[in-house]
Amino acid sequence: MPSVARIRVIFENGDPERVIEFDPARAPFQHDGKSGSILDVLLGHGIHLEHACGGNCACTTCHVVVKGGGDTLSASDESEDDLLDKAPGLTPTSRLGCQAVVEDPDAEIVVVIPRYTINQIVSEHGG
Amino acid sequence: MAVEHAARVARIVEHAPDTRSLFLRGPRIAFRPGQFISCLLPVGGETLIRPYSIASSPEEDDLEICLNLVPGGLGSPYLLGLPAGAEVRFTGPWGTFVLDRAPEAEAIFVADGTAIAPIRPMLRRAVATATRHPLHLLYGAAGPERLLYRAELEAMAREHTGFRFEHVPSARLRDAVAHRWVDGDADRGRRFFICGVGAIVPALRDLLRGAGYERRAVQYEKW
Repeated sequence: MPSVARIRVIFENGDPERVIEFDPARAPFQHDGKSGSILDVLLGHGIHLEHACGGNCACTTCHVVVKGGGDTLSASDESEDDLLDKAPGLTPTSRLGCQAVVEDPDAEIVVVIPRYTINQIVSEHGG
Repeated sequence: MAVEHAARVARIVEHAPDTRSLFLRGPRIAFRPGQFISCLLPVGGETLIRPYSIASSPEEDDLEICLNLVPGGLGSPYLLGLPAGAEVRFTGPWGTFVLDRAPEAEAIFVADGTAIAPIRPMLRRAVATATRHPLHLLYGAAGPERLLYRAELEAMAREHTGFRFEHVPSARLRDAVAHRWVDGDADRGRRFFICGVGAIVPALRDLLRGAGYERRAVQYEKW
């Protein structure tokens, strides 16, 4: 029997919740972000998650808040932490979707996609 | 979903056989020096997302992106193959590697190769808002003939006495940083803005933070 991991996706903007069931061993599910990452799983299952840098740990647009199952994800590194430091709406369980890899084949993960994942920052000079 | 913009390639400047700037003309967007746009490229029947730093300044009409051919890449051959007049769709601006004004401390900019792209508008802003604190650019490239914007940077150094510009071979960037700003003195009040490709970037970050510079004093973008 293949493993079944689940990610429950809650959208802060009020869109209907989604639940994705998948076998982590079948990653990658598409080509952006780390293989088996939350970004990879979501995009590969038809759920849009912004990733302006292409999923290369160079921006914060794939910021998600992990509400459950965080211990089944790969640990963050200094590069991810440095970017998260600048993410709007940072929480203690924030992660970059492109970097957080589902490591447990039976993971049960809950993520919230913040309303503002965006770092489309307008200049302080009013531009 | 992010707002999409459409622009035309208004002009192409060839820096070297494998390195060009594309000047994109379309709706004028506000951005901060150091930010990038995310190009949506129709390649192989799908849309590739590829980030490119904005090499121009917010005050200019066209958005300049500067890129080189990445062996085995998909995005750079597409963009480098575009003729003048071609359409480019993108989202943005994006990114938090930014500089709005010169820091209230000595500032060191480190760029390797085409990673001068985001550093260039940051430097322009820095010299335009400079106070009494020195500004340095350490620019890594295989040889001086590979430096992009060399004439502009040299002119900047002539016109702004507080700004110094040095070229070092890319392979010696780490040693140069260590020699000048780690082993050279005990001052740990400087600010660093580093951009490059691959392992050199975290290597410099770790070197500087390990030497006692504060985490937020070492800003970087790794390509």
